[in-house]
Amino acid sequence: MTAIFINGQSVETGDHTTVLQVALANGFHIPHFCWHPELSVVGNCRVCVVEHEGRGVGIACNMPISDGMRVLTDSEPVRAQRKAMLQFILLNHPVDCGICDKAGECSLQDYHYEYNGETAISGDAKLHSTKFFPLSERIILDNERCILCSRCVRFTREISKSNVLGLENRGDSMLVRPAEGRSLDDDPYSDNVIDICPVGALLSRSFLYQARVWYLEPTPSVCPGCARGCTVQFWHRKAEWRLSGLDERHNTRVHRVTALENPRVNGPWICNKGRDLPELLDRPRATQALQKGAPVSLMQAIETARGLLDQAGKRVALVSSWGSNEELRAFRNSLGDYFTSFVKPDHLPLEGEVVEDDLLIRADKNPNTRAAQDLFGTAAAEIPDDTELVLVWGEGVDFGTLPRGVKILFLGSWLLPENGHADVFIPISIQTERRGHYTNFEGVVSPFEACQPHRDGVIDAETLFPLLSAPGGSASGGGAA
Amino acid sequence: MKKVIDRRRKYWNEPTLGWWERFYLFEVLRGFSITGGVFLRNMKRWITGGKGALTAYYPEEIRADYAAHNRGKHVLTQRPDGRPQCIACNLCATVCPARVIEIEAGFDPDDPAHPKYPKRFEIDYSRCIFCGFCVEVCPEDAIRMVRQVPGLPVPDRDHGMWLGREELLTWQPARDPAKPYPPKEGPK
Repeated sequence: MTAIFINGQSVETGDHTTVLQVALANGFHIPHFCWHPELSVVGNCRVCVVEHEGRGVGIACNMPISDGMRVLTDSEPVRAQRKAMLQFILLNHPVDCGICDKAGECSLQDYHYEYNGETAISGDAKLHSTKFFPLSERIILDNERCILCSRCVRFTREISKSNVLGLENRGDSMLVRPAEGRSLDDDPYSDNVIDICPVGALLSRSFLYQARVWYLEPTPSVCPGCARGCTVQFWHRKAEWRLSGLDERHNTRVHRVTALENPRVNGPWICNKGRDLPELLDRPRATQALQKGAPVSLMQAIETARGLLDQAGKRVALVSSWGSNEELRAFRNSLGDYFTSFVKPDHLPLEGEVVEDDLLIRADKNPNTRAAQDLFGTAAAEIPDDTELVLVWGEGVDFGTLPRGVKILFLGSWLLPENGHADVFIPISIQTERRGHYTNFEGVVSPFEACQPHRDGVIDAETLFPLLSAPGGSASGGGAA
Repeated sequence: MKKVIDRRRKYWNEPTLGWWERFYLFEVLRGFSITGGVFLRNMKRWITGGKGALTAYYPEEIRADYAAHNRGKHVLTQRPDGRPQCIACNLCATVCPARVIEIEAGFDPDDPAHPKYPKRFEIDYSRCIFCGFCVEVCPEDAIRMVRQVPGLPVPDRDHGMWLGREELLTWQPARDPAKPYPPKEGPK
């Protein structure tokens, strides 16, 4: 095992090959813009300079390790060079942090305060450039803020392999631009470049000016968009920054979705479908229990559902592949004996959507098919014509395909026309209102937390199933439980 | 015999009444003449529209004796075309110790110099402590406080004590010596 000395302290290098990796792994922070753990080394930002004692100053991201080498990360020449480098990087940067969505989580801002802290020493006027270049329907590029680290370019070449982005021109007229005839719309992973951009040059249209980032906090969650089950962070407004004069929607809405780094599942990336989850979550919710379309109280609906359950002879359940592991287990324990259960896909691939690729996206567009199939088998749903009761849990079932005259017990979250056609409709909570786990297609179990308040009139499926199966008993007794 | 102790507190300005004061009637008449004189003077000034009447008709009239630097209602300063100078950076909302400022930002791609603007700008005066931090922190001199207190009386309770963007855009630059209007072209 090789050991090197960083600031006089001996550290093991492990599997790492460069000084920057070793330093970061051992808690020495070296500033860096262009270096990214998943991307190739280009060494163009030059702020990760360190001093190799006896050899002078060089960039840590490209400095190979040799046994016993002595590195200083904060010596006088290093500090001077870093400061000069930051002055160069800020030469044409507009420093419009006040209106920049990255402010608060911007490396350039942090490094400027930590390592430079001086106003510009250049007397020349800043060069102006394209302000809002539309890279795609989702992303706009502010060329004035861009520091040309080329992370986004390398991302499209090395990770998403769409090869969309490139660099045009030379020197201070250099621009990030899509290749001729191409657009970032072709790249299903394009929004990752917003996250890896060290400054606020790449901006998400859906998040643009929605909130300053210090008003938001992330809640760890799992993307329900496909069987990969990427771990994500749902960013929503902090409780202490609750708004009372503006639209109440701002307080509970998921403002943006970013990847939660997880080497076992998705690494630091997620696809664009994951970024669009707020649209999926903002659909109108069903909060009223219905009995043949007429509004009834939740307890009344549960009571009627239990009556149907007791009377019906042949019962079939179509189990949601969006239920959490806990809910699926609760269903099997409480209602497994009542029903012949089949797992159904709640969502199918949409038109124009990337169905499957080598990086993350899976063809099964449901998060928990694996856990559901482990409990209820992989057979496709077959509903015999003499079935008397069908329990439909979740979306994706056309009631027209069910046998005629069958009683339908529907558990759903969204305001859909089907709700009124069911004999009993019970509104259930969605992923962001409860905690739980999903098992992805490889069997990796990931947890998700609640980040939105529980809607009134909505019940967790995990609570509902034992109430439905409770033998005899009055509804009020079930309610107290 | 038990000694009587006067337990009443003695004040430094304890009145010492001579026989004239103790006689009461003349002192009462003197008091009436003072209050009556002030009343008549005010009345006359008010009737003739003269200055210096001590009573002001709130909220139509502004008190005359606010200090020059009184921190009253907020105003949003304007660009020459009348749009707010505010860039919706939210620094005022962030620094506000009472957290009463709420801003909803909008995006205007047609004005690359000022792409971010406040679509809504709300201040809750029921919680505002008039500390002036918002004015101090503003990087654009977009929010200021004027001498007058905000006109809060409203006919109904539901309105609350919120003032919005339209009510705050009442800056009157003609009377603002600190900022010539329209702004002079400074060095680029």
